[in-house]
Amino acid sequence: MPRILDVGCGPTKYPGSIGLDMNPSTAADVLCHLDRGGLPFADNSFDELRAEHVIEHVDNIIATMEEFHRVTRPGGKIFLATPHYTDFSSFRDPTHRWHLNTYSFLYFYPGGMHGRDMWYTNVRMREVKLNLKLLKLWKALGFEFLVNHSRMFRQFWEHYLSFIIRGKLMEFTFEVIK
Amino acid sequence: MPRILDIGCGRKKYPGSIGIDMSSAGQADVLCDWERTLPFADNSFDEVRLVHIIEEVDNIFRVLAEVHRVAKPGARVVIITPHYTDHASYCSPAHRWHLSSFSLWFFSEHPGEYDYYAPANFKERRVHVELLRIWRALGFQWLINHFRWYRKFWEYYLCFLIRGKTVEWELEAVK
Repeated sequence: MPRILDVGCGPTKYPGSIGLDMNPSTAADVLCHLDRGGLPFADNSFDELRAEHVIEHVDNIIATMEEFHRVTRPGGKIFLATPHYTDFSSFRDPTHRWHLNTYSFLYFYPGGMHGRDMWYTNVRMREVKLNLKLLKLWKALGFEFLVNHSRMFRQFWEHYLSFIIRGKLMEFTFEVIK
Repeated sequence: MPRILDIGCGRKKYPGSIGIDMSSAGQADVLCDWERTLPFADNSFDEVRLVHIIEEVDNIFRVLAEVHRVAKPGARVVIITPHYTDHASYCSPAHRWHLSSFSLWFFSEHPGEYDYYAPANFKERRVHVELLRIWRALGFQWLINHFRWYRKFWEYYLCFLIRGKTVEWELEAVK
């Protein structure tokens, strides 16, 4: 059975996972504050780590991603869900420290910064999937299909269109490289 | 006479209020690092004002919990801050938070599980959005401030074009 860690699980923990949260009135199995020290697990403890609506809250994204990378086994998956910075929800919550886009995790990809590795971190992971959700109107008009099926169109959308055809939710799946 | 507290009063303290600030350059009556604790007893004020300050604090929840403590039951709390689509939201490198007209929903309509984050309870008496002159002249400001559903539609679909300027809340401390 795969070992799954659900970071910031809240009241609805991912089925079959170990839930971690800082709030005791959640479904958490482990109580821990991400900004005050690391995760209380050994290296390579999990096959999959999930963090839904978490990364936009933390004090330090790089340190947090390094911790996620440490506890996930080589070849394991990290799943992140977070609002696109053009969405209503990115600004609705006064604990959202970061406003992110579909390129916000390039730092961690091998050769992610114009063919070179980024020097702020030594941790590497590969983006195996990115699912971008748009508002109903834009989805109905086919823009969601386009941004998810063409990298070129997604780049054009981020540069030129995203303040009009606004993004909603980004779901990243990364594969851990060690 | 009502007792009014102006938090982060700067050079333009609200008339008749007690001003509190971290800097002596303004008109503050009380100088202290007020972000963690306000140096006042519980239920001290009829009105608390935070004008262009909430976007700079380290922890909005902690500050509003303190505001709630020093406010009398039913006290008025006025908060004014740039809308996140206004240039002013990005002009100051001291601005930590970029907020919308729904950013304080946690305090007024929070479901159970959010009590942990927002222990203070406020009732939203009024939300007012200011727009730039051209949009005001075209009637958008009126629509936004008269219909909640329109404000929501504006936040979701329009506000990067018809950009916001400031958001003003009038809250009531519920105790």
